[in-house]
Amino acid sequence: MRDNQSTSFGQLARRHGFLIVLVAIFAVFTLATDHFATFGNFIAMLHAMAPVVVMSCGMALVVLAGKLDISIGSVAFLSSTFAVLLMNNHGVPPVVAFAVTLAAGAALGALNGFIVVGLGINPLIATLGTMIALRGVALQLTNAVLIPLPESVRSLGNLSIGPIFVDILVAAVVVIAADQLHRRTVFGRQLNAIGNGEEVAAKIGIPVGRRVFVAFVLSGLFASIGGIMSLIQVGSISAYLGRGMEFTAVAVVVVGGISLFGGRGTILPGVVLGALTFEMIANGLNQMSANPYAYRLVTGAIIFVAMYVDAMKSGRIRSRRKKLAVRDEPGRSTGTIAETTSRP
Amino acid sequence: MRVLNKALFAAGCMIAATLPAHAKDFTVGLSWNAMDNQLPVKWQEYLQSEGAKQGAAADVNFKWVINVADADPTRQAANIEDLINQGVDLIIARAEDAAAIGASIRAAKEAGIPFMTFDRESSTTKPTVHVGGDSFDQGKTTAEAFVALLKDRGVTGKCIELQGSLTDVNAMNRSKAWHEVTDNSGVVTTLVSVPTEWNPDLFRSGTVNALRANPDANCMFLASDFALSAVQSALEGADRWAPRGDAKHVWIATQDVFPEAVTAMQGGFIDVGTTYDAYAHAQEAIRVAIELAKGEDANCPDGVCLAKGRLATQENIGTLENLWSRPAN
Repeated sequence: MRDNQSTSFGQLARRHGFLIVLVAIFAVFTLATDHFATFGNFIAMLHAMAPVVVMSCGMALVVLAGKLDISIGSVAFLSSTFAVLLMNNHGVPPVVAFAVTLAAGAALGALNGFIVVGLGINPLIATLGTMIALRGVALQLTNAVLIPLPESVRSLGNLSIGPIFVDILVAAVVVIAADQLHRRTVFGRQLNAIGNGEEVAAKIGIPVGRRVFVAFVLSGLFASIGGIMSLIQVGSISAYLGRGMEFTAVAVVVVGGISLFGGRGTILPGVVLGALTFEMIANGLNQMSANPYAYRLVTGAIIFVAMYVDAMKSGRIRSRRKKLAVRDEPGRSTGTIAETTSRP
Repeated sequence: MRVLNKALFAAGCMIAATLPAHAKDFTVGLSWNAMDNQLPVKWQEYLQSEGAKQGAAADVNFKWVINVADADPTRQAANIEDLINQGVDLIIARAEDAAAIGASIRAAKEAGIPFMTFDRESSTTKPTVHVGGDSFDQGKTTAEAFVALLKDRGVTGKCIELQGSLTDVNAMNRSKAWHEVTDNSGVVTTLVSVPTEWNPDLFRSGTVNALRANPDANCMFLASDFALSAVQSALEGADRWAPRGDAKHVWIATQDVFPEAVTAMQGGFIDVGTTYDAYAHAQEAIRVAIELAKGEDANCPDGVCLAKGRLATQENIGTLENLWSRPAN
């Protein structure tokens, strides 16, 4: 009986664990504060998380292919820097300046793709290198100081249609586009296949290198879109733009149910709900006037829970338990660490 | 022959005595935690110019080895280790993490290199000397002036506090001073304290969230105004960015008085602030460095030399002397 109960709880956690956490967070803050569960606050949360959602979409495509791009924060910073310098120092119209930003984002993504695919360097190491280098270039270009946007551009940060901020709509379009790309196109399915096993994908004729390269280009492009949104919201560019965004995006993707091991998960609703989880925590703790030190603790705990659920989904823990049980049976040979931790 | 030798020796001594004394080379290892706003840029500029100016007068030839840690305490520790290995004569460091810098101070002491913490004190280890702004006094003078202003205008303040980084001693000092003055003032109440980690995104979202939770808030205390544009954006979104005299005005007390804050104060949007005097800090740091170079007492009580900021208001912002952040300067 107890076994049945624990099994059904395990299944429930595996299937809906993330949603249970999300609902619990919502319930706690709704009960603890007066203004959390209001339409205005919900819009404010969507507004604040819009840049994160967009950047996480790019990260999701790379993660689905079993790779990682930890340079997205620096790509956002450097590509946005171009726009600010063009507008402020050369009087370039904002539309042209932001077009340059998007082109720069895609180009920097292509650089990452080339290093990973062309030079065969591990994505984590490759994008760690570009993360540091690109931020260095941006700091050099901005002289590391905060540069305000021209007044006409700064006011776009609060542009809205009715009660809905325009950047929420932009984020919605990007998320839907990325989700459709993942679900409805050959490219998206091939990314999943690559994430599930690169060698097998190559054997069945998928052009692995080209697909991974395109995933990095899109990641750079989305990073630059998110960078523009963050830039306009804050009204200035500073060395903080995009800082730590790579880890936030990874957390959003994982909490949203996309496996860090690749090949599994969906952008919609995963990425949106993942970002909403973190925004609800920040917003709710703000409204509760919580101890400032609590923010990181709660956020870290949520990431841990999500990772645990992900590990359970991947069958790693079950596999380990089963093999340990087999090992402990009298007369059985002992399994190795490699066996017990390898991916099924 | 002996007479000739004596004559040559005497002549040599006379020539040597008339030559100008060779200035002593003094290499300073300068470790920045980050160059993320105008202030460190100005500090570095002033340190180098004051080093040249005061150094020439004191026969000390300053040489600089500078590194930046990009807000990473681990990297700053490695950067300082590099400075120690290079055998610099003095290390000046602005700490990213008030606790973590302690290990670097101890390492420098073991290597026999004097260590000056600059702007941000260590919370764990006493350096040779600390030079910086008096951040507690900064918060206190602002808070006192703000309470007096609101009392004078008959306003009861319900404030949102935007804190700085929790690992920054100055941010904590400013918050402490703000609460010490306002909590029992009977004029100003702090409704919510929002941690920003000095991140402009959090300045913005923190203000938005706090205004949502406290629609009756009518004032703010900013631990620094370097990210004022983010606060402005949030207040504009809530239709609360208005100058004094307008019914929608949010009373704002601020710290540092960066260039954007000067403009906002001149426009009536910010009410009071206390400057963070980059030039005074640099002047003091170089004075102390010269004393250390000469092996003399730096004359800092308890090893701490602090330069106070000046109160800036809408009335005096245009006339404060040597205000680094005002465009004319």
